[in-house]
Amino acid sequence: MISVKNIQVIFGKGTPLQKQALNGVDLTIEQGSFVTVIGSNGAGKSTLLGVLAGDVLPSAGQVTIGKTDVTRKGTAARAGLVARVFQDPLTGSCGALSIEENLALAAKRGEKRGLMAALGPKRREHFRERIAELNLGLENRMGDRMDLLSGGQRQAVSLVMATLAGSEVLLLDEHTAALDPGMAEFVMNLTQKIVSERKLTTMMVTHSMRQALDYGHRTVMLHGGEIVLDVAGDSRKELQVEDLIAMFRRIRGQTLDDDALLIG
Amino acid sequence: MSQIAFWGAVELGLVYAFVAVGVFLAFRVLDFPDLTVDGSFPLGAAVTAVLIIAGVNPWIAACVAMVAGAAAGIVTAMLNVRFKILNLLASILTMIALFSVNLRVMGKPNVALINADTMLSPFFGLGLREFYVRPLFIGILVLVAVIAVWRFLESDAGLAMRATGANARMARAQGVDTNRQIYLGMAISNALVAFGGALFAQTNGFADVTSGVGTIVVGLAAVIIGETLLGARGILIALIGCVLGSILYRIAIQLALSTDMLGLQASDLNFVTAVLVTFALILPRLRRGGAA
Repeated sequence: MISVKNIQVIFGKGTPLQKQALNGVDLTIEQGSFVTVIGSNGAGKSTLLGVLAGDVLPSAGQVTIGKTDVTRKGTAARAGLVARVFQDPLTGSCGALSIEENLALAAKRGEKRGLMAALGPKRREHFRERIAELNLGLENRMGDRMDLLSGGQRQAVSLVMATLAGSEVLLLDEHTAALDPGMAEFVMNLTQKIVSERKLTTMMVTHSMRQALDYGHRTVMLHGGEIVLDVAGDSRKELQVEDLIAMFRRIRGQTLDDDALLIG
Repeated sequence: MSQIAFWGAVELGLVYAFVAVGVFLAFRVLDFPDLTVDGSFPLGAAVTAVLIIAGVNPWIAACVAMVAGAAAGIVTAMLNVRFKILNLLASILTMIALFSVNLRVMGKPNVALINADTMLSPFFGLGLREFYVRPLFIGILVLVAVIAVWRFLESDAGLAMRATGANARMARAQGVDTNRQIYLGMAISNALVAFGGALFAQTNGFADVTSGVGTIVVGLAAVIIGETLLGARGILIALIGCVLGSILYRIAIQLALSTDMLGLQASDLNFVTAVLVTFALILPRLRRGGAA
């Protein structure tokens, strides 16, 4: 289970560019639940993901992952609890290392790293099997440098990397946004398969309202650093993309009106 | 070029192979442009020379030199990691400071080791001629160092260091404390360089405070020559390239200086170095141009 309580994040505090990125966000994600997060640019989705990952430390509030209070822990210190796939395929894996070296690196996420050879025969075989499950033919290219792979292939490998070591939560940061439609669908299906097979507690940030409603058990919409919609179950099933768009429009209209009032 | 001059060049190349491997760790593995080596090389020489004269066993003296080099690397890392000083500038600050430190260590600009026992002394009386023994002995040490660094870089801990240099954000997401990796890498890199300095003092019979000038260029030259010749094909090949590059560099310099036709003299060394490194940098581009 993950919970964030009354999270406040302010960027550039005390400067003219001060921005309240998250304003009192409360969110609890049950064990094994798959939550999708949508919102327009600047709504705070990436910041929320950063707060869970440890990239952003909140100025107030509490973050708990599993049974651990990680509010003050940096990215590396909480990596044992958090598996993650980045938006940019180049960020999530190491281009200069081979596919199997990347897997070896991920297999030790959050653990102590010793002086044993990273790629023994047993581990090699295990990695090969996991990559073969992708059906991309990459199992015959395990020694190839990661930067020889396409963006979609890299994201697929990143997903495998995220599951090699245990974790309390899987964070997906618009991980199909940089891919072509065909590859995006492949990676989404793979995500669905991995998440349900392994019963992973998952939070997926996405720009696509279709994705937000089609995948997972619950959808959260952020706006202006606050949660403005939180639906699950039957009411979520009835929700259409059109409804979401209408909601987006209404919220935007409201803020416009507010501004108009201020100016008036 | 005489046989003695040739083996002398090989010997010097092997001594500087430690510098090349150290520079490889900093520049290529950690992506940390580190000029500390211009100070940590003579530091290693100075510490060894002073200790040997004080009667310390030359092996222990060389080990202490490595510790001193590691400390220099840690200072540079701290300036960068803890105090956020730009990596290149941080290393220049340490390098400048080390010049004074080295003078303090030796108490004078130059310490001679004539007639003192060195790591090589026990091997001279075994029947092999001296100009063979020296490169052979240093070659074995280089071999040990290369194997150790290779095994390290292909271990779990080494992967963490390589990821830190290649993609720090990803490394942190995998639980790697990237700051600690920079400390560790800079310590190992400068320890190797200082060991090269210790060997230099013992094989040449002196330590001089100015012997560090241009060490970084020589180290980089070796790394680049190795890469140009062998290409990017994994860690072991890259390390062998460092050693090979260092030896070839010395032979090329020796050839250039001993060919009367060119009319070069010893003082032209730095110019020849610059030309060689430039050539090694341009060569891959020329090749590609030729193929297209």
